[in-house]
Amino acid sequence: MITGPGKLNTAAAVTYHHARIGTQPADCWLNIGVAGHKTIPVGEARLINKITDKQSNATWYPQIIFKHNVSCAALITLDKPSATYQSSLFDMEASAFYQMAIRLGTAEMIHCLKVISDNASQTMSSVNASDVKQMITAQLETINDLVENLRTFSHELALINAEPEHYQTIIEQWHFTQSERRQLFRLLRQWTTRFSDQEVLSTIDRHKTAQAIIRTLEDQMKNTDFVIHD
Amino acid sequence: MISTIYIEEEIAEHPRSRAILERFPDAEIIACERYGEIFNRKSQNFRLQKKKPALILAKKHKGLVLSTPKQYGIGAEHNYYFSHMLNCLYDCRYCFLQGMFQSAHYVLFVNYEDFIDEMQSVLNQHNNDPVHFFSGYDCDSLALEPVTHFTTTFLPFFEKNPQSLLELRTKSTQTRSLLKREPIKNCVIAFSFTPDKIATALEHKAPPVEKRLQAIIDLQNAGWTIGLRFDPLIYTRDYIEEYSTLFNTLFSKLNPDLVHSVSLGGFRLPKDYYRKLEKLYPDEKLFSSPLIEENNSIGYPADIRNDMLTFCKNIILQHVPLEKFYPCHETI
Repeated sequence: MITGPGKLNTAAAVTYHHARIGTQPADCWLNIGVAGHKTIPVGEARLINKITDKQSNATWYPQIIFKHNVSCAALITLDKPSATYQSSLFDMEASAFYQMAIRLGTAEMIHCLKVISDNASQTMSSVNASDVKQMITAQLETINDLVENLRTFSHELALINAEPEHYQTIIEQWHFTQSERRQLFRLLRQWTTRFSDQEVLSTIDRHKTAQAIIRTLEDQMKNTDFVIHD
Repeated sequence: MISTIYIEEEIAEHPRSRAILERFPDAEIIACERYGEIFNRKSQNFRLQKKKPALILAKKHKGLVLSTPKQYGIGAEHNYYFSHMLNCLYDCRYCFLQGMFQSAHYVLFVNYEDFIDEMQSVLNQHNNDPVHFFSGYDCDSLALEPVTHFTTTFLPFFEKNPQSLLELRTKSTQTRSLLKREPIKNCVIAFSFTPDKIATALEHKAPPVEKRLQAIIDLQNAGWTIGLRFDPLIYTRDYIEEYSTLFNTLFSKLNPDLVHSVSLGGFRLPKDYYRKLEKLYPDEKLFSSPLIEENNSIGYPADIRNDMLTFCKNIILQHVPLEKFYPCHETI
């Protein structure tokens, strides 16, 4: 999604994206854009490890838990364009992106990759939209690597957060209260861990009530020897 | 091993910080104001972060030395704990730290001297009464010793204060700094154990039981006093066989005279921590153990718990006298 410049556009885009596709905590969020810096050559990319919002002085630290080939840097998000180049990267979007995305996602899955568009010797007055497109395109390999890394974690996180097998089928077929659903959820997870070769549905299919199902699962768990090691 | 180091600006020039940074010349260094900006943030996933924890160098401002819960102790009336670090190199599935902390990063408080000053105040407060200080509640006391040089700084204080006692709780074999110096009588190196098969299943990245045992033997041979900690006891169908093997192995190779104390307690966690762990590791067998909720804690039902505690106590008391035995009073 192309957000357009500035914090407001970015925050709105993150919220819209979430509402539109119903993002999950396991999803990755990646903000790709341009930034200025005093000395880093134009066209180079940086993965952001610290974001400071200049206006509020709030700070966030993206959690980079994967191996990567791109250098990292701190970044300051400004409200207005600036030609005062500093030793930090600066942009106009990252703080808003991160602040919104962290409410919807998981810290390790939210990242910003910035390509240097201007510096003290090649100022932003010489940069146009076509240049930006070219700079970003030149970093496609880096972007793909980043996405691949995040995809692995996203998959792992999705598995961790997944409902246990047959959970939906069971709550659709029998009436469970909210509290019983929580019990069932936990019992099905334990069942999968302990009796991976046993079909749970055939164990409970003659039961008439949620309570009877919960009792059966609990009894089976209680009456079977528990071995923690292989 | 450590590729990212966060450092609080206030202690960036602290000699201990400088030395640690020099040890990791390739690490990404990120300045921060307070470690909580990173460590306490919500929406972090402990399990994912554990794959590549960063080191956070920080200053501890408050609560440097705290009273232990009443049921903990190894013989003194006055018991305190302190944590020069938060989090652990190892990844034991039963560990409460995963439930307590938002982050898996290692926090190292470099202002050791402030901890020592605080301990001195505690000692002064108790005149010449014996006071025990426990390290290793929120971290492993020795696992990062080559980086932290924790014992090198703290042991001289205890050497000068014989009315105090330091317990270093650990599973680590990083004992070189201890073996290099003269032992002191008022320091107990307390090793945690579960039987080999259980350790393999649950104590990820921790040294195997055999290596821990060798570390104890080396320490005993050098004259150090050691402790044995069987807490948590973990239930499995054949726990009698597993724990018998463990106790026989340990007590057949250790010098009982240099065993300061033995303690044990069943697996239990505060309910909130347990629920968080369950969500982080839904595929973990430990969380499908026969456990019950009681008094806001999750633990084994009384019959299992009492059977295990009694069985283990009976064997332990065949090897060490009652006055060295400290069962942790269960909260459930």
